[in-house]
Amino acid sequence: MRAARWVLASALLVAVPWIVAAALPGQQRYILHVLIFTALYGALALSYDLVVGHVGSLSLAHPAFFGLGAYAAALLATEAGWPFVVALPAGVAAAAVVALAVGVPMFRLTEHSFAMGTLGFAIVTQIVATNWVDFTHGPLCVTGIPKPQVAGLRIATLPAFYWLGLATLALVAVLYRGLTTFRLGRAFHAVRDNETLAAAASIDPLKYRMLAFVIGGAVAGGVGALYVSYVGVLCPGELTVSLSVNLLVMIFLGGVGSLRGVVVGAAAFTALPEVLRMAPTWRMVIYGLLLLLIVIRAPDGLEGLLRRGGALGRRRPSSSGA
Amino acid sequence: MSDLLEQLVHGLTLGSLYAMVATGLALMFGVVRLINFAHGEFYMLGGYAFWYAYAELGLPYPVAGLAAVAAMALFGLAYERGVIRTILARTWHVQLIATLATSITLTNLAIIVFGTQPKEVPTRLSAAILDVGGVRMAWQRLLVLVAAVAIFAGLEWFVAHAKLGKAMRAMSQNREACAVVGVDVQQVALATFGISAGLAAAAAALVSPLFNIFPDVGALLTLKAFAAVIVGGFGYVRGAIAAAFLIGIAESLAAGYVSYAYKDAIAFVVMVAVLLVRPQGLFGRRIGI
Repeated sequence: MRAARWVLASALLVAVPWIVAAALPGQQRYILHVLIFTALYGALALSYDLVVGHVGSLSLAHPAFFGLGAYAAALLATEAGWPFVVALPAGVAAAAVVALAVGVPMFRLTEHSFAMGTLGFAIVTQIVATNWVDFTHGPLCVTGIPKPQVAGLRIATLPAFYWLGLATLALVAVLYRGLTTFRLGRAFHAVRDNETLAAAASIDPLKYRMLAFVIGGAVAGGVGALYVSYVGVLCPGELTVSLSVNLLVMIFLGGVGSLRGVVVGAAAFTALPEVLRMAPTWRMVIYGLLLLLIVIRAPDGLEGLLRRGGALGRRRPSSSGA
Repeated sequence: MSDLLEQLVHGLTLGSLYAMVATGLALMFGVVRLINFAHGEFYMLGGYAFWYAYAELGLPYPVAGLAAVAAMALFGLAYERGVIRTILARTWHVQLIATLATSITLTNLAIIVFGTQPKEVPTRLSAAILDVGGVRMAWQRLLVLVAAVAIFAGLEWFVAHAKLGKAMRAMSQNREACAVVGVDVQQVALATFGISAGLAAAAAALVSPLFNIFPDVGALLTLKAFAAVIVGGFGYVRGAIAAAFLIGIAESLAAGYVSYAYKDAIAFVVMVAVLLVRPQGLFGRRIGI
């Protein structure tokens, strides 16, 4: 029964481009574009939630890892002419190596200091991206990033990008599930919920925090590489602190530490600007107030509502928590 | 040589600014164990309050400065009542995200209300140049330094002798014991936010004639002030002040001799370097105003 539902849901998701084309032919391009962003944001939010929701380290460095992957892939593709299938792993590797190097000093910091230290790293990364004009083109942006080519197929149309985004989201979701359940996931949660007790049970907190931080960073780098190949342009403005705020809104809106919650949060967040058709500054004001309201009033987010509703949720022990 | 001295003077101005902002952060952390990510925005709003009183209403400089301080002190009180009080009992995650959300909201509201064009507020002192043996600086820089020293001396006296100041010190040591002996802990927390916000506004009124006012000044300023708080030893106000001057001077020397574009990265590099060598901060004392 469950398997049948899964197959049906997957088939529906894969068939979306045809369904949209049949149902709303006029707005097909626009809807697919929003859906591609939803998939990419969903994958990015999942990678962020690995760090924030599962090992409880409030990192604000995620825009930097996203940016590192994006810049590595964009520059390798435009300046060195590397094909997408090589540039993407290079972006992942760049983000992972930097996450490893940054994580060592950062995890000497705890709580607020860790948040502020990672924020500092994100700001420095943006300063470098803006000012190292010879390398990153600075405010002139990297332009003309080629469309990806996977196994001889050039991915240039919106439906093709949609499938690529959907595949990415599915891959990241499987990775997320694999990392956060089983033995590893229980170790993550032990570190998050009680660091001292975890250490006493010979679960080294630093090791698991680093693991989540580096994997989260690497995935963010990969999503960054994919993002630039879709958009075609990369400017330093993509790396701002606002991205951290957006990601926080997504995971808190959906439900911290829950796969379904984070994906629902990312989808709701990406749909939100379409509802709130207004200037970006007004949007950030609303995101700020929304985030404030959620963390104070409904820290479990939409996932909390879904669970309480019960009708939609399978029964399982609660695994969420700040 | 005079070039180096000029850079040092600039460093002292920056240091005064960072120290006034960092003091507020350290006071709040000492009293309620909360890091206010929106503190840089208090400075930014203080700057606009000053600009409004000085440039738009045409009040004399000292009056406009005091008006900005008073307005922001009230804002600090309202912030404590409206936001902080609802999150004090929650985890540090919630506190941090709530203050970060406030920061992003205030920055973007300021962009909407005041625009992204920086507001210039030159005063007579910022235009007049003082020449000491070939070292040229605006009189305003001297005022910033003198006022900052006076404010720190006043604060030192306040926490040592005034009843409220002593209560703040006591709360930084043991909140429960304070409540037991009848200190109104909520009032003390409220007053701390008023004072910290007022300090940020005082900093804004002092340095805005030199640096201009713009909406997104806050994020970097919070970061640098926080770096000073960490480097100085968490919650130790004197340590934070010393570290703030260190960061200000390092930044100004870096801007003059290394690279202007990367000067903002300096505070961060100083912070990471200190933490690698001395995780407990430069002065090795934890908590306590």
